This record gives sequence, C-alpha cells and structure tokens, in this order.
Amino acid sequence: MKKLLASTFLAVGLYAVAGAAQAAECGEVSIAEMNWASAGVAAHVDKFILENGYGCTVELVTGDTMPTFASMNEKAQPDMAPELWVNAVRTPLDAAIKEGRLIQAAPLLSEGGVEGWWIPKFLADAHPEIKTVQDALKHPDLFPAPEDASKGAIHNCPSGWNCQVSTANLFKALDAEKAGFELVDTGSAAGLDGSIANAFEKKTGWLGYYWAPTAILGKYEMTRLSFGVDHDKKEWDACSAVPDCPNPKVNSYPVSDVYTVVTKSFAEKAGVAMDYIKVRKWDNGTVNKVLAWMDQNQGTNEDAAKHFLQEFPEMWTQWVSPEVAEKVKAAL
Amino acid sequence: MAICTFLPELLCKFPAIDDGTIRMARKSVDDGFKGFVRSYGDAIDAVVQPLQWFLNYLERAFVSSPWILVLIIMIAIVYVGSRHVKITIGTALSMLAIGLVGLWNDTMVTLAMVTVCTLISIVIGIPIGILMARSDRVQAFVNPILDVMQTMPSFVYLIPVVMIFGIGKVPGLIAVVIYAVPPMIRLTNLGIRLVDKEVLEAADAFGSSAWQKLKNVQMPLALPTIMAGINQTIMMSLAMVVVASMIGVGGLGKNVLQAIANQFFTVGFLNGFALVGIAIIFDRTSQAFGRRLQKHSEVIHG
Repeated sequence: MKKLLASTFLAVGLYAVAGAAQAAECGEVSIAEMNWASAGVAAHVDKFILENGYGCTVELVTGDTMPTFASMNEKAQPDMAPELWVNAVRTPLDAAIKEGRLIQAAPLLSEGGVEGWWIPKFLADAHPEIKTVQDALKHPDLFPAPEDASKGAIHNCPSGWNCQVSTANLFKALDAEKAGFELVDTGSAAGLDGSIANAFEKKTGWLGYYWAPTAILGKYEMTRLSFGVDHDKKEWDACSAVPDCPNPKVNSYPVSDVYTVVTKSFAEKAGVAMDYIKVRKWDNGTVNKVLAWMDQNQGTNEDAAKHFLQEFPEMWTQWVSPEVAEKVKAAL
Repeated sequence: MAICTFLPELLCKFPAIDDGTIRMARKSVDDGFKGFVRSYGDAIDAVVQPLQWFLNYLERAFVSSPWILVLIIMIAIVYVGSRHVKITIGTALSMLAIGLVGLWNDTMVTLAMVTVCTLISIVIGIPIGILMARSDRVQAFVNPILDVMQTMPSFVYLIPVVMIFGIGKVPGLIAVVIYAVPPMIRLTNLGIRLVDKEVLEAADAFGSSAWQKLKNVQMPLALPTIMAGINQTIMMSLAMVVVASMIGVGGLGKNVLQAIANQFFTVGFLNGFALVGIAIIFDRTSQAFGRRLQKHSEVIHG
C-alpha cells in the first residue's frame, strides 16, 4: 500500500510539473461562454484549440452580453469574450478601447450578424404576397397575439437587449398599432424562443424580431422580411437605436459587428493565443449547419464544438500553424 | 490520473450509458412531447381561455381605473382587514411613494398577477392540505411531489409550459402557482395534524360528524398555521414574479429583468423595493387579519 501511495504521489508530482511546463507559455485563460448557442460553441472551440494546441489551461465562465462586458470592463475578468455583439455595448466599449482596458481582437463572424423581423417559412409560402414588413402589417389576423387573439402581435426582443429599443421604435414608425398590432414583450431569450417553437408546433403565424446565426433558425425555417428601405446609419444612431426617440422613421437593421473582445492583460500574457484569435472567423452558413446538427442530436456546446473540429478541418486548420493543427487533431 | 494505472478501468471511469443511447432517449422524449403539443395544443388553449380573459380583465381593471380609486379601495381593504391604523397609514404612504417614482402601472400589473396567483394557490392548496391531514397514505404520496415542485429549478418547467401555452400571463401564472402552492399545502396539513387529540376526543364525545369536526374544531384551531401558509404563498408569488417575467409577464418583474440585463443599479433597486413594499402590505394585513380571527386563542403567529 505504501509503495502504491508513493508511486501515486510521484506520478501526480511528475504530471503536475509536466503540466506546468506546458502551460508556461500561455497560462490560465478564462473564456466567457455566453448563453446563446453560437457563442457557446465558439467558446468550446476556442477552449479545445487553446488547451490542446497551445497548452493553455482554459476555464469557461457562463455569461451574457451586458454582465460579462461590465465584468471585463471593470474587473478584467473573464479574459476573453469570443462572440460579443458590439453594437449593444458600442459606447462603453469604445471608451474602454481608448483607455487601453480592452482590445477588440477580430470579427468572429465573417459576414456579421443578421437581425430583422421574421415570419415562419410555411406562412411565407402560403402567402407569397407577404414580402415586406408593411405587407405583413396588412394581415393582423395571420399573427394572433398570445394574450388577445383579436389583435396581431409583433414579438419584441428580450428585455434589456439593445434590439428592444430599435424594435419598439420601428413598431412606432410603422404605425403598427393602427394596423391592429401590439408589441409583445417576450421577457427573455427563452420566452422568445418558446413563442417561436409554440407557433411552429401549432402551425400558427408568428412575426417578430430574431437574429442569425442561431439554433432556432437552423431548426425552424423562417423568412426575413424586408423593411422596404435601405439601412440609414445616421438615422439609426440618432433615433432608431435611441430609447424614446420622439419621431422614428422606418429603417432597416444594420449588419451587426460580432467581435472577439479580450482584456489587455490577456493580450500581454498569452501572445500565442492572440495570434490564433486574430485570424479565426467563421461564416453564418457554417455556424447554422453546426447549430442545426447540435439541435438534431441534442448535443451540448462541447459536442457541437467537437463536431465542428471533426467535420470542418479545412476551415479551422487555416487558423493555426500545421504543428498546432496536428496536436488538435491528435486530441480529437 | 496515476492511480488509475493500477485499477481496472471500470472502477476509474463510471460505466455510463453511451452517448448515442442517451441522445436517442432525449430525442424520443422531446419528439413525444412535441407530438403531444401538436395534437392537444388547441384543446388546452380552449380550456385556459377563460383564465386568460379573467387575467386580462383584472389587469385592465387595476391599470385603467383612476389611481385614487384603486388607492382608496386598497386602503379600505387593508383597514377592514387589519383594523390597524399604523398598517393603513404605512400602506397609503408606500403606495404614494411607488406612484411618485413612476411605477404605479407596473405595480398594478404585478398586483393583479399576485392576487390571482395567491387566490388560486389558496383554492388549490387548502383542500389538498386537508386531504393530506386526513390520510397518511395521501401524505406519503403528495410530499415527494411537493419536494419536486419546490426544488426543481423553475427554468426547467418554464420550457414545457411555454411550449404548451405560449408566452404571457397564463403560463406565468402556472409557473408561479407551481412554486407558491407547496407551503400552503404543507402548512394546512401540519396545522390540522397538530390539533390537540384531547380536543378531538371531546368533539367525538359530543357526537360531531366528521364535517363538523373539521369545520368547527380542526380548522379554527389550525388557523394560525394556515395563516402562516397563506403568508408564505404570497411571499413566494411575489418572489416568483420576476422569473415569470422571463416568459412575457409584464409589471415590476420585467423592469427588474431589464435592470439586470443592463446593469441599471438604481432601476433594479427601485423596482425591487416596490415589490418589497407590496409584500409588506400583504404580509402585515394578512397577519393582522389572522390575529383578529384567532382572538379566542392565545397562539399568535409572527
């Protein structure tokens, strides 16, 4: 028994030393695992590559846009947010970059995020005359409100998100209330997703705010409606995205910038990892495929990240050096 | 790590069912549930429609009546209930403070919701509590269910509730009642079980029927505990209102959620204190009312 214990201690000791030697070049990294699917998968992909390819020790921290950003900004914790929709935190982020607290590394989504008002595809097929938001507003009966079927509903984005303001302003600009619609507050991402799932299971109409890349859009086919006008950035910044803007005009959603944001201390201590973060990006088509696989197979974020690394090597091997790619492949 | 080199693998790595099988099981349960929603969704909607109307009507009544009228009715109820000048003045002051910081409408929405949730919890809870008190077998069966209701994270049953009922007040009400009804049931059960055996023997000796015993002996003597149950139910309903906002219930909870998402410290506290204010009004009034009902006894709760 004594011998066994001794050899165990020896082995554990050796293992720890070896581990320390490996991690010396990168150290401990905390990555924010946001609570929506695409960001969660991205966090796990980063974790896998950084741990197996660069020998970092990665800890994942559950997060959400605002709290995670506030914590990174004030406390420099966590080190990195792989998928931050920067429009929501534009002003404080710019200030933090200027003061050198945070670094906006590189876009994670090569095409940016797509936002807008969507309807189910089965409804768009049944009513080919609905091409724009204005067309949809002519048919309040097709989009019954959850609490009062006599009215139409436009489902707003979750409480406290930036899109809640812009959706409310567009609702006002379109005079949707006169058209017999009400703006329904969905409360949370779970409420919004649930309302879509409920509409699809019951085959009723649904109209509201959503964004891509997301698992929901991989799972339920939706059609994005045009607003009939191009995106006017000046108007957007001056009014569409401002709470209680007195006189909003109809406008299209901008393509969202989705960046990886890291703290300054991380950029200094983990140079190797920074090289990787600066070049990695994926497109919405790939993300939607991965998320759809995840949904079909009821996979976790981790499963989906492994699936991506197995199925799309031609994409991620571009991000790292051949040696690192070998290490990652060996670990799969 | 190292110790595993000396042990058979079975003892080191837990022999879990393989991923594929678990995935299949998860999928089939999910698909079964979706099938259920597809086939019975409309029927369920039709059944809860009256509840929806009632909730909408009550909320409209609270929100669109002139504030002064609502305030007068509230103060009257508090006074008639508690017969306590201090509580009545406190109620008036806290409601005025809520109105001043611009939370009147949100508070009305929350008040309507909590009122209905509490009433439903009492209507469901007291009969079940009585049944539990009358039979050990029922108690053994219901207790574990109550444990699940109180400890299961509410987000878990929000998912199926939203799938079935959509979003809005009805699913919110269901989520709140699931959480708020257990203390009502438990304390009703406990109160009746704690009634002195000798008193019951005396009632038997005078030839009371079971119904008379319950109505005239057990319930009055269990009243302090039952009042504590009602009190707990109100508090839990209020606590749950914020979670119910995650599935589209408006009111103070929605503001709290927004404050959390945006790190608005002050907004969060203002709305939080409005909830606390309502909670204290409910609490003190129901306590004072309960004490008045039990003037005959010396047992005084809280």
